[in-house]
Amino acid sequence: MTAPSASLAGRAVQARRQQVLPNGVLGMLVFVLTEVMLFAGLISAHAIARAGANEWPPLNQPRLPVLVTLLNTVALLVSGGMLVWAQRAWRRSAKAVNPPLFGALCLGLFFVLMQGREWVALIREGLTLTSSTYGGFFYLIVGAHALHALVAILALGWAWRRHAAGRLAEPQLATVAVFWYFVVLVWPFIYMRVYL
Amino acid sequence: MTVALVALLPDSAHACPVCFDPRDENRFAFFATTIFLSLLPLGLVAGVLLWVRHRSRRLADDAPSPDSAVPQVAAGS
Repeated sequence: MTAPSASLAGRAVQARRQQVLPNGVLGMLVFVLTEVMLFAGLISAHAIARAGANEWPPLNQPRLPVLVTLLNTVALLVSGGMLVWAQRAWRRSAKAVNPPLFGALCLGLFFVLMQGREWVALIREGLTLTSSTYGGFFYLIVGAHALHALVAILALGWAWRRHAAGRLAEPQLATVAVFWYFVVLVWPFIYMRVYL
Repeated sequence: MTVALVALLPDSAHACPVCFDPRDENRFAFFATTIFLSLLPLGLVAGVLLWVRHRSRRLADDAPSPDSAVPQVAAGS
């Protein structure tokens, strides 16, 4: 009678190491942290300039479109919600991802286009990058956010096209989603500090 | 000599906008943003690490036990 062979130990199944986070998500998180610090610095500089000013906003500068931008803010937040819906839908069926993903993309585009329209109106009214510190900070901070939003929209569009072609992997969607969530969540802080 | 010694004594920098700004709002803004920018990166990194740890533990709890995968040895000669 032979003892249990050494091959049993060799055949013992070892627990597979599971990846806690996809590499893309981790890399995007690190990038997002640096961008959060960028916006924190800009908003802090804005706060100091505002606190040191005698009049804010300056009397000779046009007022910002608070209500229209509030509508834009709601659209952007709904866009973030739709992307959460898309990610959860993936667990049920990959096909169920398409409508909310497309909705998130459209609302993101709406946000950027409406912001652009408001910018044109403000420039016509006299608020420019060089008209005052107020104008300079406005275009710097909101412009930096718009640039991030544009890149995030391109990434969302890429994900949507790949998904339509059946070639999108869930970690890829998660990576793009991390950047979009950053764009969505940083905007309310910018709105409250710059517009209100 | 006395004047020179007095001139060398350390004194507050009255030109510093953080220490001696006459406006309360400006002074408060400098302090608040300094604290904010100091604590924010620590909070962000701690938040990410806690979330990764939570996710790792959840995955470990959901993973099948290695013992259940060990093949059973049939008793025999």
